[in-house]
Parts: sequence; structure tokens; C-alpha cells
Amino acid sequence: MSDTMHETMNDRTPVIELKHVDKHFGSLHVLKDINLSVQKGEVVVIIGPSGSGKSTLCRTINRLETIDSGEILIEGTKMPQEGKELARLRAQIGMVFQSFNLFAHKTIIDNVILGPMDVLKKSKKEAKEEAMQLLSRVGVDSQANKVPAQLSGGQQQRVAIARALAMHPKAILFDEPTSALDPEMIGEVLDVMTKLAREGMTMLVVTHEMNFARRVASRVIFMDGGSIVEENTPEEFFNHPKSQRAQDFLNSIQAH
Amino acid sequence: MSDKRTSVKDALFEPPGPKTRRVIRIATVVSLAAIAALLWVVLRRFYETGQLDARYWSVFTRWTTWRFLGKGLLGTLEAAAVAGVVAFTAGFLLMVMRISGNRILGYISTALIEFTRGVPTLLFIYFFFLVVPKFGIKLPAFWKVCLPVSISACGVVAEVLRSGVNAVPKGQKEAAQSLGMLPHSVFLKVVFPQAFRFVIPALISELVIVVKDTTFAYVVNFPDLMQNAKVLISNYDALLSVYLVVALIYIAINWLINRASVAAAGRTNRYAVPAGKKQ
Repeated sequence: MSDTMHETMNDRTPVIELKHVDKHFGSLHVLKDINLSVQKGEVVVIIGPSGSGKSTLCRTINRLETIDSGEILIEGTKMPQEGKELARLRAQIGMVFQSFNLFAHKTIIDNVILGPMDVLKKSKKEAKEEAMQLLSRVGVDSQANKVPAQLSGGQQQRVAIARALAMHPKAILFDEPTSALDPEMIGEVLDVMTKLAREGMTMLVVTHEMNFARRVASRVIFMDGGSIVEENTPEEFFNHPKSQRAQDFLNSIQAH
Repeated sequence: MSDKRTSVKDALFEPPGPKTRRVIRIATVVSLAAIAALLWVVLRRFYETGQLDARYWSVFTRWTTWRFLGKGLLGTLEAAAVAGVVAFTAGFLLMVMRISGNRILGYISTALIEFTRGVPTLLFIYFFFLVVPKFGIKLPAFWKVCLPVSISACGVVAEVLRSGVNAVPKGQKEAAQSLGMLPHSVFLKVVFPQAFRFVIPALISELVIVVKDTTFAYVVNFPDLMQNAKVLISNYDALLSVYLVVALIYIAINWLINRASVAAAGRTNRYAVPAGKKQ
């Protein structure tokens, strides 16, 4: 890698690594022996039909879903199961949800400063200054004193991204970030995500936006029935899908 | 007030058509006439039995009467406020125990909630009035009212708060967790503030019940509004007039409490998710 952004740290240690991860919901085997790693600066996009386990996979990484067996490592450290250690590791991994999940009782600026103040123990002044910079970076600084319900979905999701960035995460997980948005708002959120990717943010993105995957992904992972079926560069995956299931999936979404 | 919300009226009825409008008009006239007739009968009976005589009402021309009732009113408000705070604190603790995930704490809390909700306030009053002194514990009359009233309310408060916590979308907790917040922070800074806003109206209703329960003060001779009214009655032999005035004062207190709740709800309305938006 001829990357100047990466510092001395061992570049071979993945930011996120899953080893033999298994999970059941009752009798349903939702994750089957998942092995996956995300290197620093990579944008890994997970696609697949609904019910394939991609959202669940994303949510296991910061333990919003527990796993039955296997290991999840963040920069080589095993994800703890509870307590302060778990919280400390969660703070290093940002998360952006399908339904935004902005804190409904707080203003936009207070949404962004809560994490830095409560977890990173920053002063209100410092947290606010940075929050305003982040909000202007995602283009919603003019809305800082409104509450989430007063914003459009696209604006809310951009605030959610700013909220994640405020924690200076090592990676950000995006769990179908545009699936709850009207078509005209999808673009504004994808633009912010593309910008982030270009700036070198490590990202794991579960999405149905194939164009985004094609343009931005370093790697595409195709999931079906709880397993990783295929893993490849976007060009290879979209132009020459190897597995029958990936071919069927791509045909079904390109049919219209 | 927000116009987007479904009022009870909207939920139950659709806009009336011409036929319905006629029925409504007729029903209005008939019921108004019935109410007027009833009122007339009552006043007439009062007049015939002499209840409207000046001697029953002259008591209210004295400044001391009002001062005495005012003192009682202060007693009522003080007892209700303290009982309200105690009930809220105890209710909060019971709710936290119940949702803590600890099985034993959960069972204890559930038992206490069911017990306090199931037993009438008067029995708790008797307990503090008759049983507690037998153990040599001497409580002031004020606490003999406040404690039973709060105990009787705390179970309901716990359940109201719990319903509020359950109504907070799961994503709120997840978002806070994913920021690396510790469980107590997640609960106190994200989940509970929202839960509390949801249940303000129900808590206010419970506060009204607390105000009304403080009338049991007469059992333990605590000088609240009701007790002082009794004193007036026995001194002036003016039963109906005094109770009528006292009832009006209680109505006024509870009306004010309800107004405050509407104002509080209006203030938090801007946090509501507008219709048609996913959250």
C-alpha cells in the first residue's frame, strides 16, 4: 500500500475482524460462520436480499446483537461482553441507523455533543465548537437549535453521521442508512458518505444502493441466507458475479 | 396546540352530516333543558328547607373564616406536594428495580407495586394512625397523612413510569449505547427524559388523586382544608354552604393542576414526531 495517510501502526491489523461468528434467532440460523475483516481506510459494502443477515451482522460488531460463538475483534482487541470495557470499545466504532435514532428530546447540537461530553468528558464549549464544525461539514449547521422532528429525513441522517463523527471513531457502521429516506434525500446522504470515504474513513456499509457500492466500495460482500456467499472488488462483483445466487440477485434488481 | 394530532373527538367520530347535525341539535336542547330542570329542583329544595338562608352563608362574610380555610388549604397543598414528591421518588425506585433485570429485585418490586395498588388509602391511614403508634413510634400528624397517601400512590407511579420507559423506541437506547455511553447514562440522559415526557399527563392525574387522598387528614386530625371545613361546620352549623365552597376550592386546585399539565404537554409537543415521518 502506498498510502501516506496511514501512520506507523501495524497496517496488517484489521480495524474490524470477525472470526467464525455464528448466531441463531431461536431456530433460525441468521449468521453462519462469518469471517470478515475490514482494514484501515477500507469501505466494505454488504449487499444481499432482505433477511440475509446483513443488518444483524452489522449490529453484532458493536454488540447491539450478541453472538453465539466466534470472535469479534476491534483493532485486535476482543469485543468485551459488558461493562466499561464494552462501552469503551463501542465509543470507537460509530453507528448510523436506518431510522436515524436521533435523540428526540434533544436539539440537533445537543445530539452531537452528548457523546463527546458524556463519554469523552469534553467541556461543553469544546464539544460545541467541534459539533458546529461537523454540522457544517454535513451541511446542517443552520439547523443546530432545532429538534429532530423539525428536520427532513435526509437532514436527520446527516446529523446522525455528524454525531458518529464527533466521537472520532476508528470506523463507522452504516446499517441501511438510506432505506428510510425519500428518493430525493438519498443523494444528499450518499454524498456525505462518499466524501467521508474519500477522506479515508474506515466504513462498513449495509445498503441497497448499488451505484454507491459500485463507485465507493473497496470491496463488496454478498450475503444470502446468513452466509457470505461472495466477496470481491465492485468491478468484478457487478460485472462477473461468480455465484448463481449473486447473479440471480443482481438480475432481479436490474430487471426494473 | 398541535393540529396534526388526533383528538379524542376525531378518533371517535367523523364530521357530522345534515341528519346527524339535526340529531345533535335536538339532543343538545333536550339535555340542556334536563340539566336546567334538575338545577331548579335542587335550588328549590334548598330554598324550601332554608339552606339558602343568610345564617348559613354569613359565615363567609367574616375575614377569619377565609383565613381559617386558607390555612387549611395551605395544609392540603403542603401535604399533597410532599406526598407527591415522596410517591414519585418511591415510584421511580420501584420502577428501576422492576426493569433492572435482576430477578429478585424484580419480584420484590412487583409484589410491592401490586400491594400498594391493591390496598385502599384509608387502610394505610389506619395503619399509620392505629398500628404504628403501638410500636412506640410517634409520627407528627402531617406524616400520618403524607406517608400513607404516598405509599398508596407510589405503585401507580411506578407502573406509569414503566409504561413510559417501554414507549421509548428501542433505537434511542441503541444510539446511546453505540456512542459508548454506560448503562446508567443511557437510562438517565436518553431513555428516562423521554419516558417522563410521555407520561406527564398520567402523572398529573395521579397527582390529582394524591390531592384528593389528603382529605383523609381528618382521620388523623391534621388541619387540612377538609378538617378545617369540619371545624367551621361544627361551629356555625353550616354544613351545605361550607362543603359547597370547599368542593369549589378542590375543583379549582385540580383544574389548575390540569392546566399546568396541558401547558407542560404543549411545551414538549415540539419534540413529537410529526405524522408520516419514520422514527
